[in-house]
Amino acid sequence: MTSDKFLGVDWAAFGIVFAVAFAAAVVIVSFYALGLRLLAVGSDDDTGADGSIVSTARGTRPLGATVGAFACLAVCVAAVLYGLYLIIPQFH
Amino acid sequence: MDALITVLLVVTIALVFDFTNGFHDTANAMATSVATGALKPKVAVTISAVLNLVGAFLSTEVAKTISQGIIKEGDGGVQITPTMIFAGLVGAVLWNLGTWYLGLPSSSTHALFGGLIGAAIIGAGFGSVDFGVVLSKVVLPALFSPLVAGLVALVATYAAYMITKQARSRGADAGFRHGQTISASLVSLAHGTNDAQKTMGVITLTLIAAGYQGAGTGPQFWVVASCGLAIALGTYLGGWRIMRTVGKRITDVQPAQGFAAETSSAATILISSHLGFALSTTQVTSGAVVGSGLGKKLATVHWGVVGRIAMAWLFTLPAAALVGGLAAWIASTSTVGLIIVAVLALAGGLGFVFLARRHPVTHDNVNDVDEDYSASRESAPVTTGKA
Repeated sequence: MTSDKFLGVDWAAFGIVFAVAFAAAVVIVSFYALGLRLLAVGSDDDTGADGSIVSTARGTRPLGATVGAFACLAVCVAAVLYGLYLIIPQFH
Repeated sequence: MDALITVLLVVTIALVFDFTNGFHDTANAMATSVATGALKPKVAVTISAVLNLVGAFLSTEVAKTISQGIIKEGDGGVQITPTMIFAGLVGAVLWNLGTWYLGLPSSSTHALFGGLIGAAIIGAGFGSVDFGVVLSKVVLPALFSPLVAGLVALVATYAAYMITKQARSRGADAGFRHGQTISASLVSLAHGTNDAQKTMGVITLTLIAAGYQGAGTGPQFWVVASCGLAIALGTYLGGWRIMRTVGKRITDVQPAQGFAAETSSAATILISSHLGFALSTTQVTSGAVVGSGLGKKLATVHWGVVGRIAMAWLFTLPAAALVGGLAAWIASTSTVGLIIVAVLALAGGLGFVFLARRHPVTHDNVNDVDEDYSASRESAPVTTGKA
């Protein structure tokens, strides 16, 4: 039993798992949410607090917002592809 | 002849276990998607079943020992006999069916460990189980997996709501539903590569132990195919009772929460297994759902339900061990004893199915929670929210 083990658990490895999972999940969710938010730029808030659609009118979206939105979503697509890479052993 | 009967029984119950495994764990990946209306119930279980089947074929590196060191094997240890494996599986299957009847998500892997531990204690005494490993590999991870996933999901949910102005920005809910479908699919695929493997390992171990297969060889194709199909079938038929608990009873999951919870689960599961510190899918997803309930303003987490789930986790190992031990005790007497155990297990399993029939939960009513709650739901379909 090495010094960094307590009750037989490798807490250092556990800490790394926690830190990486935390960072990955929060980054992916934030980028995805940011992408959705940017796609909504220029439109009125049309979704009620309870999730119902109150208006279907689409506003005009500045080019910057569109580019930013797709950049954010691209980060998420990359994360999904990396996830597939991790799952499928034939890739590594 | 006796050996053949034992092997046939082990293979059968291993496939039954695999089926209950899929059946039980459909909820992990798909409960939140079903609850938010991201996927129709039947579509959700179909996707999950196909991905579990694909996952079973993807991974070829089978965990050589299912016991993972909990039962001392090899030189100076005990010889795991097919009868012990059979008894362990009986314990695991019955526990899985019992928790399914109660609608509680619980780890199939822990049930399997419990069953095998019980059988090993009866078969070879207390000395055959390394309780230090039980503590470090089963008990402690069961405590911190949900905490980790819950904390991750809590912050992710909070961020998702903050960035999208409490999900009121245009298209936010629809967007989160699409995202959730993808992260839930990743969870399903990861599940297929892990859980079907365990049953393949058990069957292969039995075949080797009985001399039907050379030592050190991998699972045969029919083993891989039948395990994949069994887990996929179980997933497709869906443990709707457990899905209702995870998707609706812990907290009423909304699209942003579902997306944050599934993404947190997928990230935690993939990263933990990649770094060689695999955490239970069931415990991670349940924790993430609780976290997503805590991360949303004004969302209610039903701690009574969470407490019942925690109790189930606490009892998973000892309860499965008790049944596994009893089964081992009877089955090790003779072939007749073995058959008696098989018949009793079948009767017990059917008993749970008949009990469940009295209050069926199907893909039609999976999103209904209580009588008054379901009444208000019917006038307002999930996809469009309340009018």
